[in-house]
Amino acid sequence: MSILVIAEHDNGSLKAATLNTVTAAQKIGGDIHVLVAGHNAAAAAQAAAQIAGVAKVLLADATHLGHQLAENVTPVVVELARGYSHVLAPATTHGKNLLPRVAALLDVAQISDVIAVESADTFVRPIYAGNVIATVQSSDAIKLMTVRTTAFDAAATGGSAAVENISAGSDAGKSSFVSQELTKSSRPELGAAKIIVSGGRALASSEQFHSVLEPLADKLGAAIGASRAAVDAGYAPNDYQVGQTGKIVAPQLYLAVGISGAIQHLAGMKDSKVIVAINKDEEAPIFQVADYGLVADLFTAVPELIAELNK
Amino acid sequence: MKILVAVKRVVDYNVKVRCKTDGSDVDVANVKMSMNPFDEIAVEEAVRLKEAGKASEIVVASLGVKQCEETLRTALAMGADRAIHVETDTELQPLAVAKLLKALADKEQPQLVILGKQAIDDDANQTGQMLAALMNAPQGTFASKVELAGDKVNVTREIDGGLETVSLSLPAIVTTDLRLNEPRYVKLPNIMAAKKKPLDKTTPAELGVDAAPRLKTLKVAEPPVRKAGIKVASVAELVAKLKNEAKVI
Amino acid sequence: MSYRAPVTDIRFVLNELAGLNEVGALPGYEDVNPELADAILEEAAKLAENVIAPLNKVGDQHGNKLSDGIVTTAPGFKSAYQQFSENGWVSLRTPTEFGGQGMPALIAMATEEMWCAANVAFSLCPLLTLGAFEALEHHASDELKATYLPKMASGEWTGTMNLTEPQAGSDLAQVRAKAVPVGDGTYKISGQKIFITWGEHDMVENIVHLVLARLPDAPAGVKGISLFVVPKYLVNADGSLGERNDVSCVSLEHKLGIHASPTCVMSYGDKGGAIGYLVGEAHRGLGYMFTMMNQARLGVGIEGMAIAERAYQQAVAYAKDRVQSRELGSDNPAPAAIIKHADIRRMLMTMKSQIEAQRALTYYAGAALDRAARHPDAAEKQKWQAVVNFLIPIVKGWNTEQVNEITSLGVQIHGGMGFIEETGAAQHLRDARITAIYEGTTGIQAMDLVGRKTASEQGRTARALLAEVEAVAAQLKTQGLAEIGDALDAALVHARASTDFVVGQFEAQPKAVAAGSVPFLKLMGIVLGGWQLGRAALVAKQKLADGDADSAFLEAKLITARFFAAHLLPQVSGLSAAILHGADTVLALPEEAF
Repeated sequence: MSILVIAEHDNGSLKAATLNTVTAAQKIGGDIHVLVAGHNAAAAAQAAAQIAGVAKVLLADATHLGHQLAENVTPVVVELARGYSHVLAPATTHGKNLLPRVAALLDVAQISDVIAVESADTFVRPIYAGNVIATVQSSDAIKLMTVRTTAFDAAATGGSAAVENISAGSDAGKSSFVSQELTKSSRPELGAAKIIVSGGRALASSEQFHSVLEPLADKLGAAIGASRAAVDAGYAPNDYQVGQTGKIVAPQLYLAVGISGAIQHLAGMKDSKVIVAINKDEEAPIFQVADYGLVADLFTAVPELIAELNK
Repeated sequence: MKILVAVKRVVDYNVKVRCKTDGSDVDVANVKMSMNPFDEIAVEEAVRLKEAGKASEIVVASLGVKQCEETLRTALAMGADRAIHVETDTELQPLAVAKLLKALADKEQPQLVILGKQAIDDDANQTGQMLAALMNAPQGTFASKVELAGDKVNVTREIDGGLETVSLSLPAIVTTDLRLNEPRYVKLPNIMAAKKKPLDKTTPAELGVDAAPRLKTLKVAEPPVRKAGIKVASVAELVAKLKNEAKVI
Repeated sequence: MSYRAPVTDIRFVLNELAGLNEVGALPGYEDVNPELADAILEEAAKLAENVIAPLNKVGDQHGNKLSDGIVTTAPGFKSAYQQFSENGWVSLRTPTEFGGQGMPALIAMATEEMWCAANVAFSLCPLLTLGAFEALEHHASDELKATYLPKMASGEWTGTMNLTEPQAGSDLAQVRAKAVPVGDGTYKISGQKIFITWGEHDMVENIVHLVLARLPDAPAGVKGISLFVVPKYLVNADGSLGERNDVSCVSLEHKLGIHASPTCVMSYGDKGGAIGYLVGEAHRGLGYMFTMMNQARLGVGIEGMAIAERAYQQAVAYAKDRVQSRELGSDNPAPAAIIKHADIRRMLMTMKSQIEAQRALTYYAGAALDRAARHPDAAEKQKWQAVVNFLIPIVKGWNTEQVNEITSLGVQIHGGMGFIEETGAAQHLRDARITAIYEGTTGIQAMDLVGRKTASEQGRTARALLAEVEAVAAQLKTQGLAEIGDALDAALVHARASTDFVVGQFEAQPKAVAAGSVPFLKLMGIVLGGWQLGRAALVAKQKLADGDADSAFLEAKLITARFFAAHLLPQVSGLSAAILHGADTVLALPEEAF
């Protein structure tokens, strides 16, 4: 068996999600190759070559792959995939955008959000917003799947695989990149952060959301998340949203500040190692999943917490 | 310009589903069913494009059991012009759905196909991308903004870390994210009017599509419940616990 | 606390008990069928749950503010009302010729239940508009209809009913407001009206007041009252709004409940007279008002049942969530959710079984209203009209008396938390209280029931309905549901004895019958409610035998009917004893001794 892992990268660097996906591949077992498709992506390819357990890195490098548009990356993957038993991508917006398109052209099913590998053809994935866990078996010759990165540890580095340049195909001419607006932050990315400080509607305004949570996040080196209620109220940008319809996270420490704990929020963070909830409503459902709960007004508790951490 | 919208009938988002006692499947007997919320957003977007004079006709399609007709009627009441029901009792997986929609698209020749980014039952998030592949058309997935510009459509996508805007040649496929729009409440006269709008029926066999499932569900189970921890009395106690007991800071 | 419209139960009642298909067979209702009803119910449920229900608590806390004659409604009400009216819900059952949807009362009623449960204060605004609409539709000139009805059906203008004056409450013969002919066909209206629901507000551009007043030549008493249209803004010939009329809200009442509904003191003619237009003929205003009475009273009956449903949902959620004390007879020493405790269950079942009985009986009355209005066969039409007439005071009186008990049980289930306003259980109790008072107090409903509806027709309709109860009881016994059938039979004995007493004694000793009239109304409510639950049990039994998949819902119907038979139907014997033998002690104590 041989497994192709689609790397998550931004040309200049490799994203941590790739490491988790390699671990998932290792659970299946077999030769692991990593595809880096991009433009001027040698640095990302080099980083991929250093993942322990990776046998080979394939680099498809061309202008039309620069923004990794699904229309242009798909032919590259389809071409390669026929030589593999499994193709894995992280269940990021990039992986989710790409892999079903590949699957359709290969006329195989795709398995989304795999959280455990039972065997080479049997996988575990959540459905109904994580309220049900399904075990599914694929009979397709090539198994395509996206992997929920929070369910697998990051693979170690220290390897030294060869980087092989491969054909990058040509521009499909159907789509073009216009612009990108990334949320600027010196903080870690939500999906990769070890600690997340997340705020809810109780923050009551955009100003307070930032002025209360940012000092705490800075102190802890944490990423900032938000409940859907806080996002809908305009206190936090869309990509802060943690939950069923936002990001699924599983950091070492998740600090829920002024979040009541709607089911769909819990679905996005309940796999965190340690959950702390600060809420003045002692009946708030968040306390049912929190390892440590503090019933307090967040506007006094958070500054106190920062002071305590400074001690 | 014609728009094709696909809508799925799913367990209502308020319902907490349970597994059958033998673990063979989810028990969906007698639970409230509704249109997939992402698909509601898809219908709404199409209707807004029509109201803005940018689309001339909205065809809405649903695939599955007889009761999908109700879901189609809802879409018609929201403003779609006519409906197609591909009726089958077979479990439809994303690849089969994409093939069926491809067959409909071949007949209807829409310039834009709008779908929800995922259904809230199987959470697959695949159908739009697969349909785009089969139609050899570009895809704007997880859209939070859709702007038609001549023979192109600009789609702003919600991606990890922010937003990305792509320009797609028509015909194109768009899948909707949560914040694309807020679906309307249906006007009462439109419920009555929807009853009189055309609803055509077809089947996978008539469309020449093999809709058999590729993945076999071996079992389903409810996830382990996370237990509540303890309440701490003070911030100091919290910090002490995190340092000494949980060892996470 | 959120509200979930009980669509499954409503659908069951519409299709299995009230006869939606039969209503759909009436002339003019060809489009009406269970599928259409379903689509309407689903959409109404969405709006009720997501838009109107969330305003219930805000409205209660915020109320309305009056300043310089302008009434500002609670935050969110204006936009919710606009959404409600723009989506066509005001005109669900108004005729198509004035822009309505022409749906039967039966379907309209199902949506009205949802509005009332979601937010009864909000629901009163469209309810009053509909009342005013119907008065104009039946009695006004074509010109007045053309001017006002389309705008009222669309919800762009709302309507009010101005009957009550400080000295003229239940006794409208004492109305003093004046109407003086101007000579150009219009009238100058002056006087003060109180308790005017949604009399002034900021949700729409114009308000159409229907006002009872006396012409200068009017005879005294009820035969001298005329009905006038008095718009807040006069309407120009082209339909645009003209000058502000001489009518204003001078005060808002501070009430026990329904805080979000502005209850206004309206003053007419402070600046020389408000311009009004006569509806129909002079001196016949009170009669016109009574033509809408059935619909209005049925509407208040729905309010009672709907608030009870809301209180029940909240109580169930709390009972499942609240953990206190270990379960009796359980090995588990840990405290249990209070729904495991027997008395909590008793309270929940008392709420649930009465609500379901009321829903079935109320919708049955609604279907009867449609049949009475549209049945092509004259004899059938007459029969159903008699059923409507008989059921109206029962639905109004029984539902609204019981909602006071049911919402009180809702508070009780919450324990101490129920007494705390923040919990929200108390609001239902407060909101419900008015329903047994307005549109005729329970006492007035009961007098209507024993007098006009029972004694004066020699108990014909009462006995016909009791015969139907007997038939259902017999069927229950053959279907293995004897405990329900037997309980109904036992109750029937008392119901018949009480009916005989009312019919036999009303002429001879009216005061003695009046003394037992409210017990008689409650007795009829319980017996007829039990009849409906018995019918529901028969349907459930049959469907279970047919292998209908929704067995949990159907089993619940059987259990609910059995509970009602065991706990509510036996109350009939006590009520009957009071009716037959209790009058004398009601009246014995000399007035001075009080």
